[in-house]
Amino acid sequence: MFFSNLQKHLIRTSAFALKNWLITKKRGFHLFEILFWPLLSLISVGLLTQFLGLESKMVEFVLIGVIAFSVIQIGQLDMAYVILYSIWNKSLKHEMAAPVNAFHLVGGSWTMGVVHSALIFLLLCVFSSVAFHLNFFDAGIVRLLLFFLGLTFFTASVGMVVCALAFRFGGRAHVGATFIVSVLVLVSGIYYPVEILPKALRFVAYLIPLTYFLEYFRSFYGFTPKSPNPLLFGFLLTAAYNMIALYLLCLSIQNARQKGILTKMSE
Amino acid sequence: MNRSIEMKAISLKGIHKTYPPSRKAEPVHALRGIDLEIEQGTIFSILGPNGAGKTTLISILTTLLFPDEGSGTICGFDLLTEQSQIREIVNVTSGNANFTDNFSVLENLNYYGMLYGIPKGLRNAKIEVLVEMFGLEAFRHTPFNQLSTGLKQRLALSKSLMNDPRVLFLDEPTVGLDPQISESIRRSLKEINQKEGLTIILTTHQMDEAEFLSDRIAFLRQGKIIAEGEGDELKRGIRLGDVIRIQYAGPPFNPDRLSLLEGILEVEIEDNRITVSVDDRGKRLDPLIRALTSGQHMVVKDIEILEPDLEDVFLELAKTPH
Repeated sequence: MFFSNLQKHLIRTSAFALKNWLITKKRGFHLFEILFWPLLSLISVGLLTQFLGLESKMVEFVLIGVIAFSVIQIGQLDMAYVILYSIWNKSLKHEMAAPVNAFHLVGGSWTMGVVHSALIFLLLCVFSSVAFHLNFFDAGIVRLLLFFLGLTFFTASVGMVVCALAFRFGGRAHVGATFIVSVLVLVSGIYYPVEILPKALRFVAYLIPLTYFLEYFRSFYGFTPKSPNPLLFGFLLTAAYNMIALYLLCLSIQNARQKGILTKMSE
Repeated sequence: MNRSIEMKAISLKGIHKTYPPSRKAEPVHALRGIDLEIEQGTIFSILGPNGAGKTTLISILTTLLFPDEGSGTICGFDLLTEQSQIREIVNVTSGNANFTDNFSVLENLNYYGMLYGIPKGLRNAKIEVLVEMFGLEAFRHTPFNQLSTGLKQRLALSKSLMNDPRVLFLDEPTVGLDPQISESIRRSLKEINQKEGLTIILTTHQMDEAEFLSDRIAFLRQGKIIAEGEGDELKRGIRLGDVIRIQYAGPPFNPDRLSLLEGILEVEIEDNRITVSVDDRGKRLDPLIRALTSGQHMVVKDIEILEPDLEDVFLELAKTPH
């Protein structure tokens, strides 16, 4: 019974991963979105650092931020699309009439998000090494993996909040996604150290796991972290946020069933 | 999942649902105390005008919507506390159902099969059976957005049978389809019901569909069930009676001559045709003919007997204050 139930849960979870994979396979635009924007962003920022004549240490600082941001951007997009496509296709009620829950949805879409993020992470690492002489592998494979894992776990928090917004506001949830991502760009130290931020924003920066993961990885490129153990802090905060985000998502689905939003979004 | 073999398919008590107000709309009290019991293996139709609450009721029964008040069970599973179990044993489809637009027929069926946790081998076998049953063989790889309305509806019905549901909810399943396809879908539904003993609950605007398919029918108006029973039972219940239409030759007929007869509900005379509504044609036909012909130079040319259909019942119920 236990294994039969476990099998059912795994199949349901992989349904959302399959959906995401099929969307990527069939929508050229989605693939373009995954590959083109991160690459464009890396090239333009990389060229800017050359134009400004930044020393290599500074170039490394900035490009680490750009690559980390791309991983989060792609991962959260994958998670959001699994719901947004159902809303745009007006098929959400058929999916939510099946015995699926937030865990299946998050597990499946996040898994595909990790695959896409890993691809883009690898591509950007190789490209930045060739074009801008930033060798990501200098930090060591384990540290690189821990950095990537931290980013993808944090992606789950962002993705779940966007999904929760989608269950509440439908297709307009992408506004929320843009807002969250913009806040991350502003306060997480992607292009600059958080110390240059005003005090209030610096406080916000240290509430965001991405700040810690960036501090951790940049420490291998000569930047002293401000937190005693950035990796641990990053993972602890991410774990807390993931639990909160999952709760919000469950609440949002519950609210949608209470207010008839699921049926309205499928009309 | 076998706990409810002996139970009613559906049992509802005092279900209320009010949609909360929004910036543009007042609150809507969509369901006002629904009590309903449906036996397993039956086809049950819910009829009612637009806004009567049919879709709200189906949404509650499929756990897409939570009721504000009341209680109920689906095959013995509690509507409020065992929703996950309910979702495993029911399925739903609606008229103009939508699926992911660029997924093919097979991809959509496979995806929904996975959502119901069906293992791969079983899923593939089930997909093959359904594709054949609904004549989708030639469209296996056709994307959903390239299917005709009829094919989309057949795909929707296939999807709704993926998990071998014990209760199938169909919200206006043949809306917008041409008569030939509607007829073929009705036949398929009847066949599945008879072969598999599947309980089917459907909402429809089409009275002939409800009459053809249903074992029992409920009329919903303003969120309340105002009548429920078998088709004939409903017709008798609101005393619509039978209509006897007689074509005759002879002098003009005086309707007062029928006033002494029992069971006459209404008389209409137009040219040489008398239309009489009676409570029971079997009992009233003979005395009626006698009354018409006795002592008159009247010759009966033709007799036509019309039974009221559900449309008449529906129209009658719609105008009855409740």
